[in-house]
Amino acid sequence: MTSKLVRSTVLLSSILLLASCANMKKHGSGGGYGSDSDTVGGTPLPERQDGVNFMSDNVDKHQFPPVHFAYDSYAVSPDDESTLQSVAQFLQSNQNTIIIAGFTDERGTPEYNRALGESRAEAVRDYLVHHGADGGKLQTVSFGAEMPVDPASDEDAWAKNRRAEFGVVK
Amino acid sequence: MILKKSILAICLLAFSCASAAYAADAPLITVSKSDTISLGMQPISGPDGGAISKYLESDLAATGYFTFASPGSASLIVSGQSSGGELDGKVSDHSGRSAVAGTYNGDAHARADAFANDIIQTLTGNKGIAGTRIAFAATRTGRKEIYIADFDGSDVQQLTHDNSISVGPSLSPDGRLLAYTGYKSGYADIYLVNLSTGSRDRIIKYPGTNSGAAFSPGGDRIACTLSKDGNPELYVCGLNGSAHRLTHTPGIESSPTWSPNGDEIIYSYDDHGGPQLYRISSSGGSGEHISTGFGYCTEPDWSPDGSKIAFNVRQNGSFAVAILDLRGGGTRVVAEGERPVWGPDSRHIIFSNDGTLYLMDTQSGRKKAIISGLGRASEPTWAH
Repeated sequence: MTSKLVRSTVLLSSILLLASCANMKKHGSGGGYGSDSDTVGGTPLPERQDGVNFMSDNVDKHQFPPVHFAYDSYAVSPDDESTLQSVAQFLQSNQNTIIIAGFTDERGTPEYNRALGESRAEAVRDYLVHHGADGGKLQTVSFGAEMPVDPASDEDAWAKNRRAEFGVVK
Repeated sequence: MILKKSILAICLLAFSCASAAYAADAPLITVSKSDTISLGMQPISGPDGGAISKYLESDLAATGYFTFASPGSASLIVSGQSSGGELDGKVSDHSGRSAVAGTYNGDAHARADAFANDIIQTLTGNKGIAGTRIAFAATRTGRKEIYIADFDGSDVQQLTHDNSISVGPSLSPDGRLLAYTGYKSGYADIYLVNLSTGSRDRIIKYPGTNSGAAFSPGGDRIACTLSKDGNPELYVCGLNGSAHRLTHTPGIESSPTWSPNGDEIIYSYDDHGGPQLYRISSSGGSGEHISTGFGYCTEPDWSPDGSKIAFNVRQNGSFAVAILDLRGGGTRVVAEGERPVWGPDSRHIIFSNDGTLYLMDTQSGRKKAIISGLGRASEPTWAH
């Protein structure tokens, strides 16, 4: 339940987007939105590069540490701001593309987790774009609950597995 | 397929009345053994009689409508003769009066399925589901691959050999096409497999994540979640990959499911605090919240008769299968487990629980394990 509070208070990028989309005030019952804009909620992704993906050998997955999330949340944590600032600075001073991969813990249903993992990757991407990075150099992928860093079924493992990783294209 | 059939009401009348009463209000009831029909299975004669007997009994047992007893003590006796590619099947009472009689053809499995469906329809009044197809993901090889099987778990075949992550299968209503999410490219893309020819194409491969394929009732469109515009949104795609966007929100849309006429889609939407069910026109517009009484609702599946939604809820930290009656009957939890999908009879569901797939009669609550021993099985789909 606390994750809901965290999410609703800390999603900096979404707050910025909400502020910039005046025509999004059309809440339906229970929170449905209506809008004519195709850019609500994010910046369109660039085309994929041939021969490059998060699993390929030409991607360095260890240059930056992962960032982590509360349960069922895609809000960027204040604890990870220094990591994200260094990623944003790297992108501003280099030509590399970064693939952001989103992951969830094992709980929850698989398709929802794939969407949640993607939202985590996109929330990180939004943060970076709003801190000066070029969205055209930021690709995303979600693996949902696949590929946990810790396969155990306990709170410690789940906390480690709710993450977004950075793959720097060499 | 059925050349002759004769029906005598005899002892079936009482069961038919009970069955009709269930259909009217569909409560979750504790079923006593007497609610099932007792069948005595005599071996089917003929060269492939053994195989037919095995398929027939599996079909009938899976539905939960029947119990099996020795022919001497059962209410009705099932018998048959197979020769020359034809099965003459019969169900009769102890006085020899015939309740079901027909001739069925096709291969051994098809003959058994046709006889089973005749028995189900005649004795229970419900639509037969024998021979209908399911698919699912399983980890037997150490990687998640897609498998296909009959509804009762027979005839399991491994469909993909991607050696990657292959998940989220969806069968077309006629069971001829299968769409799934595959990571062979390193990204989540939607693949389309023609099950008749075996041909496979990566049809939806936009930047970001492409997942959650659900065939339209006509089988010519796929609803799915794409993140190409910077956020997971619902789209309706042609089988050529063309994409029409339905939703425009800052939250997470996932798991679309179509109404029987294709006009509407129900899906899961997470704004701030737990995914909820929403419905939207399949041509777009604004999503409308569906009240379920639960704070976490994912992976809905719309019954083919349009009256119910099966979906996941979380309660007390664990995941359960719930059914929402769209005609005002509220929501009830029917089992522990995940990812329920309806069968063509809008009465049985298949769901996963702890790596095993179960088939359940949602009216009686009876369930049976149909897929186990393939590593962890998950994400079933059932052609309807």
